[in-house]
Amino acid sequence: MANVITCYKWVIDEKDIRINPDRTVDMSRAQRKISEYDKNAIEAGIRIANRLGARPVGLTFGGPEAKQSLKDALSRGLEAVYWVGHPFAAAADGMVTARVLAAAVQKIGDYNVIVCAEGAGDTYARQVGPRLGALLDLPVITAVCEVEVDGQYLVATRKLEDYVEKVKVSMPAVICVLPEICEAPVPTLKAVLAAGKKPAQELTPQFLGLEEADLAPGISVTGVLGYVMNRKNIILKDGDVAARVKELVAYLKKEGVI
Amino acid sequence: MGGTFVVYSDKPQLVLELIGFCTGAGRKAVALAFDAAVAEECAAKGADKVLFFNSGINLPEAYCQQVAEAITGEGAEGFIVGSTVRGREMAAKVAALLNWPLASDVSRVVAGGGELEIERLTYGGAVVQQEKVRLPAVVTVPPGKFEPSSKPKAGAEVVALSAEPDGRYTLLERTRIERQGADLANADKIVCAGMGFAKKEDLKLAFDLAAVLGAEVACTRSVAEERKWLPPDVYVGISGATVKPRLYLTLGVSGQVQHIVGARDSGLIVAVDVNENAPIFSAADYGIVGDLYEVVPTLIDALKNA
Ligand SMILES: Cc1cc2nc3c(=O)[nH]c(=O)nc-3n(C[C@H](O)[C@H](O)[C@H](O)COP(=O)(O)OP(=O)(O)OC[C@H]3O[C@@H](n4cnc5c(N)ncnc54)[C@H](O)[C@@H]3O)c2cc1C
Ligand SMILES: Nc1ncnc2c1ncn2[C@@H]1O[C@H](COP(=O)(O)O)[C@@H](O)[C@H]1O
Repeated sequence: MANVITCYKWVIDEKDIRINPDRTVDMSRAQRKISEYDKNAIEAGIRIANRLGARPVGLTFGGPEAKQSLKDALSRGLEAVYWVGHPFAAAADGMVTARVLAAAVQKIGDYNVIVCAEGAGDTYARQVGPRLGALLDLPVITAVCEVEVDGQYLVATRKLEDYVEKVKVSMPAVICVLPEICEAPVPTLKAVLAAGKKPAQELTPQFLGLEEADLAPGISVTGVLGYVMNRKNIILKDGDVAARVKELVAYLKKEGVI
Repeated sequence: MGGTFVVYSDKPQLVLELIGFCTGAGRKAVALAFDAAVAEECAAKGADKVLFFNSGINLPEAYCQQVAEAITGEGAEGFIVGSTVRGREMAAKVAALLNWPLASDVSRVVAGGGELEIERLTYGGAVVQQEKVRLPAVVTVPPGKFEPSSKPKAGAEVVALSAEPDGRYTLLERTRIERQGADLANADKIVCAGMGFAKKEDLKLAFDLAAVLGAEVACTRSVAEERKWLPPDVYVGISGATVKPRLYLTLGVSGQVQHIVGARDSGLIVAVDVNENAPIFSAADYGIVGDLYEVVPTLIDALKNA
C-alpha cells in the first residue's frame, strides 16, 4: 500500500523558554512538543491518505529525544512512524535536515504524497518542505490551504500575499500546508491507548547511507539572545470595572495617546 | 570585494532593495525577471545584468532548474531572494539543486568575504539568533531592509532566456485578493481583536472603540485564519503584519510570542484580558484584567467623556 508521509518536528515549547535579565536564554526546563502546525499537517496527511486509500505515516528527524514524540504522533491517527534520532540534529540546518528526510523518504519508499507544514515552531524557516521536494525531484506546492485529489493529480489552493492560486501537480508530490487546511483534533483516550501497539521504526544515519559530509551544516549559530520586553506592566485588577477603566483612561491621558 | 549575487523577487520594489544590498556589499547584481517590464526596470535602476525568463503567466517556481543553472552560469556566490511565499519556495528549491545552505527571513544581513553574517528570529520571536553562513549560499530577505537602488549602471544588458517550464505543474487559476483591511503599517493607533471575542458580530465592540480612539482594527492570526472574521492582511505577528503604532490596544488577545513579536516596537501597549496570567500582561504597559464585554462599553463611554 502506498504511503502518505507527513514530516513533523519535535521542538522545544517556546512557552517554556526563560529569558534572563542579561538576555541569556534558559531552555533547561523546557518541555518538547510536536511543532504546533505539524499537528495540522499530520491530520491533513491522514485525510489525504483516506481519500487515496493509502497508509498515513509520520517521519521525524531530531536528537535522541525525538523518540519521545512517537506515541503522540501515533495517537493522532498515523499508522506508523519512522524516526531518525541522532545528536548531530542539534547543529543541523535546513540543508542537512532536508537531506536526512530525503534519504529516509527513499528508504520508506512507495509514497505518493509528502506533507510538511508551512514552518516549524522553532526555526520557522519555511524551507524544509520545498527543499525536500527539490532533492527528491518532486513537484512542490507551498502555502496550501485546500487540497483535492483528482486521479493521478493533486489540486491545491495556495495563498500568496496578493493572490490565491489553484495549482495542479502530478503525484508523487510534496505539499506544504497552512494550519487552516484542517483542525488538529486532540487525540482521544482510545487513540492514545492504541498508539502503543502501532509500529515505530528507527532509521539510523548509517542505514540511510548518510556520510559525514552530508551531515555538515553550512550555517553555524554564533550567538543567541533572548528578547526582553521592557514595559511598564501596570496591571489594573482591583475595584469594579468602572474604577479600573477610569484609572486606565487617566494613564492614557498622561501618556498623551488620547 | 568583487563577486556576483543573483537576486530575485516577485515584488518589483523588493528586487530594487536587493540590488541595493548587493551594491552596498560591493557585489555585482544579476537580477532575474519573469516579466518584461520588471526586467527593464531592473536594468534601468542599478542591476549589472538582467536575465529575463519569458514565462508568460506561468509559475516562476516551475523554472527552478533553469534558475539554478543560470546562477551557476554567472559564477555567482549568492542567491538573494525577497522573502515572500513565492520567493521562499524558489529559494529553497534552488538551494537544494545547488546544494547551498539557505538562511530564511533574515532580520539583518552583512556580506563579508566568503561568508554572510545574519540575524534571524527563532522560537516565534522569543530568541534572536546570530548565524554565520558560508558562501556560496541563498538568503531570503523581507521588504524594507535595504534602500532600493535607483541609479542605472552603464552597460546593464537584458538577456532573454528561453526555458521550458517543469511540465508537472499546471496553473489552473490565479485570483487577485482585494485588500480589504486597514493600512496598518501607517496606523497611529491600533485596536487588536483576539479570540476573546465569542462571535463575529461582537467585533463591533472593537470597531466602536477604534472609532472613538481614531484607531484601525487589527486581529490575531486565529481570528483571521481560523475564524475568518477579518481579512488576512490585518493580522499581526511573525507570519502577518509588523506594526509600530503609538498605541496598540489588545482585546482578548493572549499575547503568544508569535503574535506580539509583530507589535513589540509599538509606543504604548495596553491589554484587556480576563486571564490575569495571560502572557499579554507581561508585554503590556497598562492592562485591565476583566471581561472585554464589560470593559469595552465602559471604556468607550469614559473616552467619549474624557
Ligand atoms: C509558527 C507559528 C506562527 C504563528 N504566527 C502568528 C502570527 O503571525 N500572528 C498571530 O496572531 N498568531 C500567530 N501564531 C499563533 C499564536 O501562537 C497564537 O495561537 C495566537 O496568536 C492566539 O490568538 P489569540 O490571542 O487571539 O487567541 P487565544 O490564545 O485563544 O487567546 C484568547 C484570549 O482571550 C481571553 N478572553 C477570553 N474571553 C474573554 C473575555 N470575555 N474578555 C476578555 N478576554 C477574554 C483569554 O483569556 C485569552 O487570553 C503562530 C503560531 C505558530 C506556531
Ligand atoms: N527535523 C525535522 N523532522 C521532520 N520534519 C521536519 C523537520 N524539520 C522540518 N520539518 C518539516 O518541514 C516543515 C518546515 O520546517 P522549517 O523549514 O524548518 O520551517 C516543518 O513544519 C516540518 O513539516
